Amino acid sequence: MKLLTCPLNGQRNISEFTYGGEYHPMPNPNSTSPRKWAEYVFFHDNEAGVVIEWWCHTASSFWFLAERNTVTDTVIRTFEASEIFKRRIDFVEPTSGDIT
Amino acid sequence: MSEQKPDQALRRSPLYRRHLQLNARFEELGDALVVSAYGDTGMEPRLGVSLAVADLCCLPRTGFKGPGAPDWAADQGVELPSAPNTALAQADGSLVAKLSHQELLICSDMQGHSGLIDRLNHQAPAPGVYSLPRADSHSWLAVTGLLAAEMFSKICGVDLRTHKFAQGQVAQTSIAKINGVIVRHDLGATPCFHIFSDIASTEFLWDCLLDAMEEHLGVAIGVAAIRSLAATE
Repeated sequence: MKLLTCPLNGQRNISEFTYGGEYHPMPNPNSTSPRKWAEYVFFHDNEAGVVIEWWCHTASSFWFLAERNTVTDTVIRTFEASEIFKRRIDFVEPTSGDIT
Repeated sequence: MSEQKPDQALRRSPLYRRHLQLNARFEELGDALVVSAYGDTGMEPRLGVSLAVADLCCLPRTGFKGPGAPDWAADQGVELPSAPNTALAQADGSLVAKLSHQELLICSDMQGHSGLIDRLNHQAPAPGVYSLPRADSHSWLAVTGLLAAEMFSKICGVDLRTHKFAQGQVAQTSIAKINGVIVRHDLGATPCFHIFSDIASTEFLWDCLLDAMEEHLGVAIGVAAIRSLAATE
């Protein structure tokens, strides 16, 4: 059984975790182009190398980030999302002209 | 001792069919009927010292979550555990478990006293505090006894041996493939692991626990035995 270290709950069997996709910084949804927004929402880089990914410890519903080498499948470190997300993000409803 | 059957009570445990199969005797606890004992009332506490499981689903419990939850609870007089994944007994006998930096689980003592829980549930909601009423979403089972950790090693990946998993520690993990919260809060000198998990899967988890306990001669016991164990030093 592979093991993964949850920043909140410690080392656990990989079966307790759910993969949540690659992490990418979010573009401003009101100023970015539809193409860039679609890439952010739907597309993965699928890079061979070190990437940052979302993982969830399903027993506690705790989402966190992992730095992983996709070539060697080695997890370099896991860390709480609060390292990146320092404040709450509120979405502003776009005016009709914002989406084309 | 009440002659009532659980299907006549206002509230009943999701395990009531299992209890009826085991010829349980019931007693009133608030508006619910809980299992007082299955067999010899005098013998059950001794079984609990070795290995047993009890259904505490009808006992009061609640929860709160959100960035303001810990400070709000402290303002209400709750003594907070120092770190996530630890639990702390309160002066009134209830137990508060901190599941993350922003989440609390609060459960009653073994008598079902709900003073603190009622008080918190009836407070006006504060900014950044969200109610998680656990009584209808999470089952509550207690596994007691010196052989409990050995039994758990078959169905749970976390090492729950008493020298590794101290009194007051909390593990959020998988138990027989069911996600759950395990809180170690001993009954007197008897190790006790409280399990909170999805209420819709309670019968499955109960059956898995009894199956895993069989080789250690573990059995189901009622709340009378649990209270008796809690009263011993």
